[in-house]
Amino acid sequence: MKNISKIAAIVTSVALGGLYAGASSAEDFNIAFFAASSQNGFNQAIYAGIEEKAKELGVKTEMYDGQFNASHQYSQIEDVLASGKFDGFVLMANDTVGIAGAVEQIGAAGKPVVSTLFPIGPNLKTLDRQVDGLTATVASPPADGAREQAKEVVEFCKDKDPCNVVIMIGQLIFPFDNLRYETFREVLDAESNIKVVATGEGSYSPDVSLTAMTDILQANSDVHAVLSNADQHLVGVEIALDAAGYNVPDLFLSGGGAANIAINAIREGRWDATLAYFPKSMGSIALDMVVKKLKGEEIAESINMDEVGPMPFIINKAVLDANPDFVGEWEQ
Amino acid sequence: MNSTLSTAWAARFFQTYAVLIMIAILIVALSFLSDSFLTFRNLQNILNQNAPLAIMASAMTLVIIGGGFDLSVGSIFAVAGVSAAWIALNVDPFVGLAIAPFIGLALGMMNGIVITSLNIHSFLATIATSMVFKGVAILITDGRLIPVRLAEFTWLGRDKVGGIFIAVIVMVLFALALTFVLTRTAFGRKVYSVGGNEEAAILSGVRTNRVKIATFAIAGMAAGLAAAISVSRISMGQPGAGIGMELQAIAAVILGGTSIYGGSGAVWRSVAGVLLLALINNGFNILNADPFYRDLTTGLIILAAVGISASGQRR
Repeated sequence: MKNISKIAAIVTSVALGGLYAGASSAEDFNIAFFAASSQNGFNQAIYAGIEEKAKELGVKTEMYDGQFNASHQYSQIEDVLASGKFDGFVLMANDTVGIAGAVEQIGAAGKPVVSTLFPIGPNLKTLDRQVDGLTATVASPPADGAREQAKEVVEFCKDKDPCNVVIMIGQLIFPFDNLRYETFREVLDAESNIKVVATGEGSYSPDVSLTAMTDILQANSDVHAVLSNADQHLVGVEIALDAAGYNVPDLFLSGGGAANIAINAIREGRWDATLAYFPKSMGSIALDMVVKKLKGEEIAESINMDEVGPMPFIINKAVLDANPDFVGEWEQ
Repeated sequence: MNSTLSTAWAARFFQTYAVLIMIAILIVALSFLSDSFLTFRNLQNILNQNAPLAIMASAMTLVIIGGGFDLSVGSIFAVAGVSAAWIALNVDPFVGLAIAPFIGLALGMMNGIVITSLNIHSFLATIATSMVFKGVAILITDGRLIPVRLAEFTWLGRDKVGGIFIAVIVMVLFALALTFVLTRTAFGRKVYSVGGNEEAAILSGVRTNRVKIATFAIAGMAAGLAAAISVSRISMGQPGAGIGMELQAIAAVILGGTSIYGGSGAVWRSVAGVLLLALINNGFNILNADPFYRDLTTGLIILAAVGISASGQRR
């Protein structure tokens, strides 16, 4: 039985080797992008970066819709892998832990896969490889960005006592949002003058954030800052603050995503900062890594987007004044 | 004898007004737990925030009383919303808001025609059409948001008349109009008869297909109206908006006490169902309660309301 397994492994290796040899020219490479959802602005921006780089390198790409459904994406990866149509993969996982099994299958098939936005595995704090089969990770560590955002709130609050802060987080049931929230609290709770008066869940929706913020403002009449992980939340937050009679530019509003809507709001002085994500650059880098790996070139195990992005990862008015031509890499 | 009668009366009372009893309990509890709850501003905010859902649930009542289900209203909401935003940007803000209910009406009518002409259950038909409509919303926007930062566009969702949000006034008028239609017109009686016993309705000369098409058209129009309010409030068309609203609307209708089997129910019950769900959310936000308990609490309160209602039926 062991011999049969060995023979099967050798045959598979030879076959895969043959496939690789046959696809040595970049023009022959087919790369699939497993989007968390193809109908989402952020995912579309990643794919735009992938397409742009693919055109430059002369490879073919295709996007698959994960429908924001972890089990659907898992099955999709298995099906696409079984089709044998693609040489390499870029992934934006819906479930960063549960998808590990599918990533291992890609690795077992001898094909490269690069994860974007989040690391794959149980530890979201590190970009180091945690799963066999994963080729590389192109992402921003969630805790690092959250810590810098919270520090900006501390700076804004230094002359206010008390400084009342509202946190509008995505959904605490998501591990990455939970990590961001814990990081926010770790920094803010260490300051005696800062009081986190309320936490709302915005669910990445302006509507939901508007409702949550409106309710929060019923019970809290003197809010100084709103800290959020998503620009979509601040759209609703701003409307609620405005309706409650606040002069929004007086408050400190910090979101996340660096979507165009946030860039415009910061330029206009309505919002103060956004934690930058560069989905287009991320997609471009990920595709480049997959192609390099297919060509047998050496690539890094991880790329920290906070370090290689086209702008500092906290974007505020000063940063935008210094970069007047910058536009967000996605529309939200 | 008197004791038996009073027990039966109490049972019937609880069954009939279970949702109102739960609302009263929640209002009392939240009033004690937070000084901010029982204020005009907060109560009006609750109504304003939930006006779109209440409008959709009011119209869904007619569909369910008529023996149908409409799982496409969330997608109709999305199509009407992004269309309103696109038209507001490219044509005129007022036209954008005004046209949304008509887009919903057309799509709802399409639902009714598909269901009656193909003679398939509305549950299945509207699952299919919801996917079609969702696809249309994505195609209109290319999957992106459509921000509409125009003052002429936000009046419906944000402005007040006489201190009352326009959205709340629209919701109340819409619910009253549907109540009138359902209880004071021949069409309303036909809706009850189609849902209660379709065969008997046909034998009585009721053109049941027309009635069904009309209920779905009204549900579609309501989704369009709700979308206009919502998109005006956040000044943004979103292709993903409305996802799950169909289930919230159906939950509110059933929670209010309208029969899931059709043939009985009332619009006020659905509005009360929406308010019950809204109070739970408002309470969590005002009390800054751990959101991990939100679903648990919501589920238990729904179980309690349904349990009270069912206890009367068992007798």
